[in-house]
Amino acid sequence: MKFRNRHPGGDTIESQMTPMIDVVFQLLIFFLFTLKIVEPEGNFDINMPLGRPAESAAVDAELQPLKVRLEADQAGNLKRLLLNDRDLGTGEEAFLRLSEEVTRVVEALRRVGPADGTDGADAQEVELDPDFRLDYRYVIRAISACSGRVTEDGTIVRLLNRIRFASIRSEE
Amino acid sequence: MKFHSHGSNVPEVNMTPMIDIVFQLIAFFMVITNFEQNKADERVRLPKDQLAIPAVVRPKHQVTLNIGFERDPDTDEIISPTPLMFYAGQKLPPRDWAVPLAQEARFFEALDVDLAEVAVEIRCDGDVPTGLVQELIQKCQNTRADRQSSQGFQRFSLKATQKTE
Repeated sequence: MKFRNRHPGGDTIESQMTPMIDVVFQLLIFFLFTLKIVEPEGNFDINMPLGRPAESAAVDAELQPLKVRLEADQAGNLKRLLLNDRDLGTGEEAFLRLSEEVTRVVEALRRVGPADGTDGADAQEVELDPDFRLDYRYVIRAISACSGRVTEDGTIVRLLNRIRFASIRSEE
Repeated sequence: MKFHSHGSNVPEVNMTPMIDIVFQLIAFFMVITNFEQNKADERVRLPKDQLAIPAVVRPKHQVTLNIGFERDPDTDEIISPTPLMFYAGQKLPPRDWAVPLAQEARFFEALDVDLAEVAVEIRCDGDVPTGLVQELIQKCQNTRADRQSSQGFQRFSLKATQKTE
């Protein structure tokens, strides 16, 4: 039998790139239009059953909750931040001071620590008492300052996790 | 001029690289597409915080409540000062915020789930007055299913977007 070499130059055939590019571009355009870039979201957990404050006060009679008072101006911005009636000022510095104070309390509680070896700061509660009109972002900032802090090397140190709201203040 | 005519002019295209690339693209987009955010409403501008780290363990049952403002699509400025709850395509003013909670309570009752086990995820705009959020929490606590259940919602998580610097 006799075979003839039809392609003396070589056996490779140049493949048609057009359909591939068509499909790839169509896919890319489809995903680009449908893709929604969402920033990662995290949450701060608070546990607030009805009637809980009175109950916990009876159990932890010695451990008074840290009272964080957030006062607002007419526009809803933070006017003054107080921790156990002590003025911590306003703005971002106030939250940094709050974080320092909470860290101090947590370190002291962990040093003393309960006899059963659990974390001494676990039982410590924080009670947030914001003005009605205060913008919600300041509350999140206060919860963040109480629940943990980021150190210079980027690690997160957990502080308190029992956070609740005080009763609602009136609108005026 | 002389033309050579072959039996067939269409050479067989090697499909392998195309399939490779298409599958790679599909796999890439499947990985980065976030299916968890389907209940999140994009109109809500959450506060930003460094410690807002996505939860590793998700609660078994949860209700998402989106509270925000009507904003101008171009400038992102607030059009109406009344905060609204975006729920099932509706825009509810604060006085109606108990309605979806009752619906959710009935839903969980049908599933025979205790409301105390349900986590209420509050996605609230940073400009909303805190008192309204507290009132919402109170409404959640006071929500009862039709059956004489002993308690309302108790677990709350406040959402914030992760601030990266």
